[in-house]
Amino acid sequence: MADNLNIEVAPLPRVEGHGDLVLNVKNKKIEKLIFRIPESPRFFEAMLVGRKYDEPSHITSRICGICSVAHTCASIKATEKALDIKPSEQTIKLRKLIYHHENVQSNVLHVYFLAAPDFFGVGSVIPLVETHPEVVNIALRTKKMANDMVRTIGGRAVHPIRTVVGGFTKLPNEEEMIKMKEMLKACYSDLEKSLEVLKTLDIPDFERETEYISLSDPVDYALYDGNIKSSDGWEINDQDYRDKINEKIVQYSTAKHCWASRDAFMVGALSRFNNNYGKLTDNAKKYAEELGLQAPCYNTFMNNIAQFVEIVHSVDDSIRLIDEILENGLDEGKAMVDIKPKAGRGVGVVEAPRGLLIHDYTYNDKGRVEKANLIIPTGMNYANMEEDMNALVPTIINKSEDEIKLACEMLIRAYDPCISCSTHFLNVKLVNK
Amino acid sequence: MAFISKDDSNKSGNAETNVIIIGFGNKYRSDDGIGIRVIEELGKLNLLKDKNIEVIDGGTSGTDLIFLIKDCSKIVIVDAIDAGQKTGDVVSIKVNDIEEFIKKDYRSLSLHDLNLADIFKLAKALKMIADISIIGVKPKNIGFGDKLSPEIEKKIPEIISLIKKEIGI
Repeated sequence: MADNLNIEVAPLPRVEGHGDLVLNVKNKKIEKLIFRIPESPRFFEAMLVGRKYDEPSHITSRICGICSVAHTCASIKATEKALDIKPSEQTIKLRKLIYHHENVQSNVLHVYFLAAPDFFGVGSVIPLVETHPEVVNIALRTKKMANDMVRTIGGRAVHPIRTVVGGFTKLPNEEEMIKMKEMLKACYSDLEKSLEVLKTLDIPDFERETEYISLSDPVDYALYDGNIKSSDGWEINDQDYRDKINEKIVQYSTAKHCWASRDAFMVGALSRFNNNYGKLTDNAKKYAEELGLQAPCYNTFMNNIAQFVEIVHSVDDSIRLIDEILENGLDEGKAMVDIKPKAGRGVGVVEAPRGLLIHDYTYNDKGRVEKANLIIPTGMNYANMEEDMNALVPTIINKSEDEIKLACEMLIRAYDPCISCSTHFLNVKLVNK
Repeated sequence: MAFISKDDSNKSGNAETNVIIIGFGNKYRSDDGIGIRVIEELGKLNLLKDKNIEVIDGGTSGTDLIFLIKDCSKIVIVDAIDAGQKTGDVVSIKVNDIEEFIKKDYRSLSLHDLNLADIFKLAKALKMIADISIIGVKPKNIGFGDKLSPEIEKKIPEIISLIKKEIGI
């Protein structure tokens, strides 16, 4: 390979949104390495100001077609905390159920459609139809199942409409709950087949330990709710996120960088897995074991495998939740609680598929937003992505430019980055100087 | 009655009828929201009631279109699209066998995960067949914002006329 490299990938293909990678190497030493994101949710923060309490969840749901349930739930939780609204246990269980299936929708899309082509050595999902038709069909069936789950509970497969502050505007009926359970049970054979395929993947051997941050709960494998926990040994109430999670502006990106105990930390499936392994179902643990994923795992590329293990967990745990809901009986009287506007601040933290998502709202006494702060998971991961690449590139510096470029792209894609806005034209530019 | 109100559920990715009108886009990215705005306008009209036609707000989740292609005989897509026309011009693209769309590599500006051309390539590879039409307008501004540019907004009646023609009402 050349001693000097100047690689620019702008925007990066097969990531959700719009990001550029810049890598300059001189005399085999990294001179500049930047993952640059031109998008940020600041527009939405400004847009929320002045809105009535029942509007932010519908507005923020539109930030992203992939994380719409996550934004909806983070928003609802922030508002409910600020207005001192306590939803019913039934509502919480239904929210956990819908939440599982956005995670499945997103993880399926990433593992099979966006990341798998790298591991099978093809440029996109299209050639996979010829080379690995069973993988594409499994992906489509599993995505369809998750879509049907989200639609049955939320009224839509994306941007749910029934999931609102205080509860649900409409409940699924018993027949629909039973049907959902049957759909879930039917997907186990596809999960088994996926396991056999994923076992054959050659995951790059790369390790760099970092700080792993996720939600954590005494009982659940936390996705919808919990404290914020770090692998560096601290755990805080989600309302106190500012005590540990800091943001700073970096010159080359309109998105902010985050840090906590160290200069960088990681959020997402691998962090959840590392921090909450013990809360996975036994079945999901069995899948993890067969795929060689053990907690703690310091290989970022294994984030893809952790996402698949989470699909298994979500299917298992959804069946449990449906059984509990059916046992208690669906009660229309518990669908919504009364809402009285009041002044206050509330923080809603959830695990979006890509990691911790924070909505922080301040309301006035008329129940209108005075201030909003949103921190997206990809924003939290930027600094860690750069540190990972700084560690990876020297280990592959003797490979060809194309191989280095692909390895960096794969590493960024492993984070499943979502830059929270629509993607536009895709160009890849490689310049040698 | 298969008309689905915008106020509650829709069948995105889960067709129960043969004819579907689906809008894509992000309504907080200015003109990128044209597809969603047209769907909202259609929802206010009575013209589709009692007809076996579904109207869907597809948001920015493009992959789910594959399920519609699988299940429907006729799909009309409304989207911000660049097919080489002038800004603000409306195009109606017939994609009966989806070959032309793939060949010309027209770009949807909205979709978050896979592009329209990618979806059609995938549908073709999976041997799925549907009669697909795309009605698109080239946007002026796709920056953050919750309003359409005036010159794009005034195209809504023209787009609705083309949709009506397309589905024969």
